[in-house]
Amino acid sequence: MKKFLAVMMALAMIVALLPAALADEALEPITVTVFRGDPGDQPTDDNKIYKLIEDEFGIKFEIEFLAGDLDETLGLKIANEDYPDLFDGGNSAELIENAGALIDLLPYITEEGTPNLYKHIYTDNRVQQLLHDGKLYIIPNYGINYNGKIDNAPNGPMFFIQKQVIAWNNYKVPTTLNEYFDLLDAFIAENPTNKDGNPYIGFAFPVEDWRRFGLINPVQHLMGRPNDGEVIIDVTTDDYATTTFINQSYAKDYYKKLNEEFNKGTISRDTFVWNYDQYIAALSTGTVLGAFDQGWNHGTAMDALKTAKMDENTFLGIPLVYDESYGYGKIEEHYVNGTVMNKDRGFGISVNCQYPERMINLFENLLSDKWQKILQWGIEGEDYYVEDGRMLMTKEQYDQRSDAAWKKANMALTIWESAPKKQGLMDDGNAWAPGDQAEMYFGMMTEYDVNFLENCGVRVPGDFFDKTLELAPYGEAWQIDKAPIDIDYQDFLTIQDQTLPQVIMADPAEFDAKWDAFVEAINPSCEVYSNFMHEEVLKLVKQALGE
Amino acid sequence: MTTATVKNKNRIKRDAAFPVINTIFLVLLMFVTVYPVINTVAISFNDGTDALRGGIGLWPRVFSTKAYDSLLGDKEIYQAFWISASKTVLLTVLNLLFTSMLSFALSRKEYVLRGFITTVMVLTMYVNAGLIPNYLLITQTLNLGKSYWVYIIPCLFSCFNMIVIRTYICGLPEALVESARIDGAGDIRAFFQIILPLCLPVLATVALFVAVGSWNSWFDTYLYNGSKKNLYTLQYLLKMKLATTQASANAAKSTADALASTTQTTPITIRCAITVISALPIMIVYPFLQKYFVTGMALGSVKG
Amino acid sequence: MTARAGKTVLKPVRKKGFWKTLWGQKQLMIMSVPMLLYVLLFNYGPMWGWITAFQDFTPKRGLAESPFVGWANFQWLFSRPDFIRSIRNTLAMSVINLVFGTVSSILLAVLLNEVRNKTFKKTVQTVTYLPHFLSMVIVVGMAQNIFASNGPINKLLQGIGIIKQPVFWLGEGQHFWWLVGVINVWKEVGWNTIIYIAAMTAIDPSLYEAAAIDGAGRFQRILHVTLPGIKSTFMVLLIMNIGHLMEAGFEIQYLMGNGLVQDFSETIDVFVMKYGISKQKYSYATAAGMFKSVVAIVLLLGANFIAKKLDEDTLI
Repeated sequence: MKKFLAVMMALAMIVALLPAALADEALEPITVTVFRGDPGDQPTDDNKIYKLIEDEFGIKFEIEFLAGDLDETLGLKIANEDYPDLFDGGNSAELIENAGALIDLLPYITEEGTPNLYKHIYTDNRVQQLLHDGKLYIIPNYGINYNGKIDNAPNGPMFFIQKQVIAWNNYKVPTTLNEYFDLLDAFIAENPTNKDGNPYIGFAFPVEDWRRFGLINPVQHLMGRPNDGEVIIDVTTDDYATTTFINQSYAKDYYKKLNEEFNKGTISRDTFVWNYDQYIAALSTGTVLGAFDQGWNHGTAMDALKTAKMDENTFLGIPLVYDESYGYGKIEEHYVNGTVMNKDRGFGISVNCQYPERMINLFENLLSDKWQKILQWGIEGEDYYVEDGRMLMTKEQYDQRSDAAWKKANMALTIWESAPKKQGLMDDGNAWAPGDQAEMYFGMMTEYDVNFLENCGVRVPGDFFDKTLELAPYGEAWQIDKAPIDIDYQDFLTIQDQTLPQVIMADPAEFDAKWDAFVEAINPSCEVYSNFMHEEVLKLVKQALGE
Repeated sequence: MTTATVKNKNRIKRDAAFPVINTIFLVLLMFVTVYPVINTVAISFNDGTDALRGGIGLWPRVFSTKAYDSLLGDKEIYQAFWISASKTVLLTVLNLLFTSMLSFALSRKEYVLRGFITTVMVLTMYVNAGLIPNYLLITQTLNLGKSYWVYIIPCLFSCFNMIVIRTYICGLPEALVESARIDGAGDIRAFFQIILPLCLPVLATVALFVAVGSWNSWFDTYLYNGSKKNLYTLQYLLKMKLATTQASANAAKSTADALASTTQTTPITIRCAITVISALPIMIVYPFLQKYFVTGMALGSVKG
Repeated sequence: MTARAGKTVLKPVRKKGFWKTLWGQKQLMIMSVPMLLYVLLFNYGPMWGWITAFQDFTPKRGLAESPFVGWANFQWLFSRPDFIRSIRNTLAMSVINLVFGTVSSILLAVLLNEVRNKTFKKTVQTVTYLPHFLSMVIVVGMAQNIFASNGPINKLLQGIGIIKQPVFWLGEGQHFWWLVGVINVWKEVGWNTIIYIAAMTAIDPSLYEAAAIDGAGRFQRILHVTLPGIKSTFMVLLIMNIGHLMEAGFEIQYLMGNGLVQDFSETIDVFVMKYGISKQKYSYATAAGMFKSVVAIVLLLGANFIAKKLDEDTLI
């Protein structure tokens, strides 16, 4: 039996190798060095997907994952010009682009030679958004959709509220800031503590370090704009007028509201001193009723609540705007933006790489439908099965994907995460990402959530949101690299970190004075920042329109 | 009764009460310091997601060894353990040899270069050239990057340890070296034959310092051997696991990640388990070294 | 076991002439000069990097091509009010750490020294040094729970009636330095005590007996025998730590700081991280590091000089 198996294996390997061997004239086996700007586990030596890649392309990978501080690591690599062949600079890829560590990919991508890549970046003229002075360094790893974008559950910035509060409100979901806080206050008035006797905290948000978006980002959304970071951009004018909002009167409205709620006791002062771990811990106890946050920022807390069978304490994300009483007219919410390409994120090929053609060829082939299925879903029959043309996973197959040891042996995570990939739907209607596949999405949902959504009269959480806004030609402004004004930008953030909490915690009688002092303090850096952003936005628009 | 005897009686009373108060204080202190440590152990044996909710005391609420499984479950941990253990032993031996030799030389008051060399050595504790120059020295000038030797060669000397050993040697009877001299033995032989054996207690102490430092370091692996997975040290691997858990805990930045990111371990339990794993070898070794530890450590200088 | 034994030794004989004496000491040189060369290479060699403090350095341009800017980087640093504040915070926190740390560890050592039961003494010692091994993240996490608005400390103080309203320990800048001091003491007191206990074991027991015969009580014995016995250890550590006054740490401030207390929490190292490393202003980082080193050396040599003048133990 063993012998038979061995023979079959050998045969299978020959068959598998033949087409590849015939297609390319004897590919010399190479080892490619890879850096990935995120932490990760080393794959096992016999990882099945990497083995397939090696068999077909003759390429082995030697991967280095991020272990310390990203900027520091990249700085050292730049100082030493010690670049790996495939270089993913993580969230600081601008550094390696600016240092000249990456080659221009554009000359390698042609309609005939690399049709998959060509289609990937030239459709909708995407490439225009990706260029730096006419050069393409990185093909985005995320954010290029085929056959539309799937928004079952928006995962970005929004207001959150515990599902039990909505249920208590007879499943009526608030749509304005005032409704939201009125509901929270009414709920707390009737239920000051949970069933264990711990007091509820009405509203919280993350503030630590870069997670300060919880403190400083809400205003743009209340005014009906998607996430542009710290500026509001008027897309209705040709000039794309760009202003920081934090020093405007419409920001004062929000912080005045928070000030009122703070003095009512709805917001705890501890919010301002929590680090991320404590914020998550607070959410995980189920005593925080509402929050402004980004969905992905508190996934673990929601997991903790589900594990503890406290589904009614999990969050529902909702879009809120100012109501008309604020005097800004009727504001339409635009929390969900069109697909944003993960610009400058993913693999670039370094100037030290000796085989750029083979790397491009690898990306091109991995972007084929066959390889995309392997990378994203795995091997048919092992990792998923097909029923009536639908790709599905059993509970077991699904669960093993969250097992770190299994992933090390059975997924090519680094390649999957950093190389160009397809998202959205395949031509046959299956989703490219298993998590987007409708059957699986609903299969994963808890019974509580199914009932809850039904009571609210919606199918998926995404239904609470208006239709996706068309992406502005500049993308989302938070992606703009602020390196040229970094010191001013740091001042801009530091003042907000320090003063906004004081404004929120102020005695109501002193609120106006404190707010005015804040505006005065921040105005200079606001001016530098908004001018800079305006220029950058105009540059991007010009580029996108191909001028 | 004279005032003197009253005073004496009071003092006797006070002296009798002291041990009781002292004991009570020390027991309280032990409680305050041991509680967080046991709490850390308890959390490390708790289910990760459950631990997020906080409120765990001296015993796990939902028992689980997942954190340890995920940290110690892979084969690569054996290789990393071997690298860590071997480089720790090798470095400790070499470091002790060089440092104690230097300490002996600098303990000789007649040595004319003593003041100069001591000053140069002491200042190393305060001079920091910055990360990049150090990095370039190792990787470019010495070409030690991506090798095992980068764990050994740059770490052969520590000034604090030199001072500890020097102080100890100065405390030894001067006559020992003098008698060796009369026998015609040079300084080198006097050191190896007479002084070194007498230094056992202080060497045990310093060995612990060096070994603990080497065992717990991960930064050198990160700087120089990040791409060489067969040279990973245990601490680096543990650190990496923690970073990975943290990253996946707040990942799910795109829907494509959503399925794969449901976590079973969380940074909080992983961090606690790492603490336990890292401290354990030291806990085991410590009682054996403790008796040396207590006699071997003293700091001081030589006047004159 | 302390340094006293060395006192009787003769001064080096200088009459022979320096080079001749040196030649006679070639064995000592064999034992020390290689290590001298070693630290010159590994510790002083990279100091060429200090040149970048006078450049507008980027890793891409490297040392050779980065333009020189004179003292501009230092001028920038000292023009920043937050850098000046970070010097103040660093010094304040390290002085607090030094005083709290030294007093608490000597106190604990004295108390332990008075314990007669060997097992109990060993147990206390072993238990109290354990927190040394906890990572700062864990320690700060616990501290934040303990000092929370409705945490145990506030409850306790309210219970005794010292305060009416809970104190906002973590959100008011004036508490920050002291919190750092308390946490550091708690974490390191057991570990730092080891060295003093070791010094105390080296004290000649006959000194205690003599004191007892003279009718000295427990406190007088501590005052006149124990404390003088650890004086040289104390002095050397003190000089060493005065040199370290510019290092107040990075991790604890980074982890426990927040927007509200940043005026009190940012140390020089945090400042360097914020502007130097994260923003690739390597020249700023180097300039700050160089400033720190220079101040440290001045402090160290100053302390050493004063100790020498006072005829106390010295480090160098």
